[in-house]
Amino acid sequence: MAYTFQFGVVADNFPALLQGAAETVELSAAAMAGGLAVGVLGALARNVGPRPAAIAVRAYVEIIRNTPFLVQLFIVYFSLPAIGLRLSANGAAVLGMALYAGAYITEILRGGIGAVPRGEVEAARALGLTKLQVFGLVVLPQALRIAYPALSSQFILLMLASSVVSTISAEELTAVTNTLQSTTFRAFEFYFAATALYLLMALGFRAVLDGIRRLAFGRAVT
Amino acid sequence: MKRRVSTLLAGLLALMAAASVVTASAAQAQALDRILKDKKVRITAEVTSPPFGFIGADGQPDGLEIAAARQIAKDLGVDLDLVQVPATGRIPALLAGRADIAISSLSITLDRAKTIAFADPHGALTIVITAPADVSIKSIADLAGKKIGITRATLEEATVPKLAPSGTQFAYFNDIDATIQALLSGQVDAAGMSGFAAKSIADRNPGKHLESKFTVTTAYYAAAVKPGDWDLLRWLDTWVFIHRQDGFLAGIYKKYTGLDLPDLPSF
Repeated sequence: MAYTFQFGVVADNFPALLQGAAETVELSAAAMAGGLAVGVLGALARNVGPRPAAIAVRAYVEIIRNTPFLVQLFIVYFSLPAIGLRLSANGAAVLGMALYAGAYITEILRGGIGAVPRGEVEAARALGLTKLQVFGLVVLPQALRIAYPALSSQFILLMLASSVVSTISAEELTAVTNTLQSTTFRAFEFYFAATALYLLMALGFRAVLDGIRRLAFGRAVT
Repeated sequence: MKRRVSTLLAGLLALMAAASVVTASAAQAQALDRILKDKKVRITAEVTSPPFGFIGADGQPDGLEIAAARQIAKDLGVDLDLVQVPATGRIPALLAGRADIAISSLSITLDRAKTIAFADPHGALTIVITAPADVSIKSIADLAGKKIGITRATLEEATVPKLAPSGTQFAYFNDIDATIQALLSGQVDAAGMSGFAAKSIADRNPGKHLESKFTVTTAYYAAAVKPGDWDLLRWLDTWVFIHRQDGFLAGIYKKYTGLDLPDLPSF
């Protein structure tokens, strides 16, 4: 018996798939913003914060980077209600993804900060800037520029990792695909369609991130 | 830019090649002959929905459907290869040729029958709405305004959303464990699941005061094969006929559910 591909059913349900893709873009963009904020705060605490804060950030980075994302997500969604914090599926998804990405972004920024010439920091201090000013005005902008390529691929990875949040009932592209394939039993067709949509979204994100890079740092930097 | 386009094209070509392999590998020997010749039958095992399939105390798959799968292999006189799949993977595993028989509490539905071929039913189950005692639900109309947890690719997914009044919210999970966790943690107000699953969760979590609110539907489940494996399908029908007579099906049903096997109709 040859398997006959029937893509008509995918076309019929295309609006639902697009809706799922839009949800993926939304969740990912929110988590990227949240993750970047967490990462910058983490880098700040590590560089100019008091020692306990630096140790706390280090523990956070190690815990997140050495445990599975799926388990972290389950803790946010299933365990937080026990202490009275009942987040919606989307809320838990964004929080989980932001915490997850934040740890990696903290590390990426640490690399970028390490690459900023020591002399510039000393010069800024000699000019009378406070520690916070040195971090915000001298170190962070250069670190962001140096770390940008690594940051943008982390963002793409985060978008792809968002497929996992379907397990806590967030209705993004993978969730919609799973529902459609399980009700129409056209698994191959829908998974192919989802693969194509993820590819397009990744290319789209890359184009947007490249555009932001040009606006923020000019053409010269790669 | 040019290089990127050619990379994309290469990726698409690879996808199409993969698709044609799926088509080509389907032309094969008769299923029953192949199983007897290989001395091995591959049967799906879904181990996250007690009492149908679960991991026993010894770490091995156990349950009502696993017992049926073991008996099928024994009656065929071949080795059993349990293909562990999640609920959403039962039909894809069959269609992709990873399993010869799917026998993981697959309820018979017309939609499913469009892509797979069902044998005669060898068991029956009910779908109920279960919730803590303080949640007031008496009939399907009371679901309005509540959040109901549903497992994807199950009979409850196929029935409850269609019958529920508008204003009912649904949260869909990939496996029954997640649905149960959502119910126990209060992420959903109620959940749709088999009557057995509801009873077993209620028994294991007495502090949550879970109760089955009402029965949505009764359904018969059966083994299924790929369309075209008619010889294997006929053998499975014969298997069901024999074991309805000799009491084997009633015996395992009683053992794993504590209930008497309902009368089973045939095609």
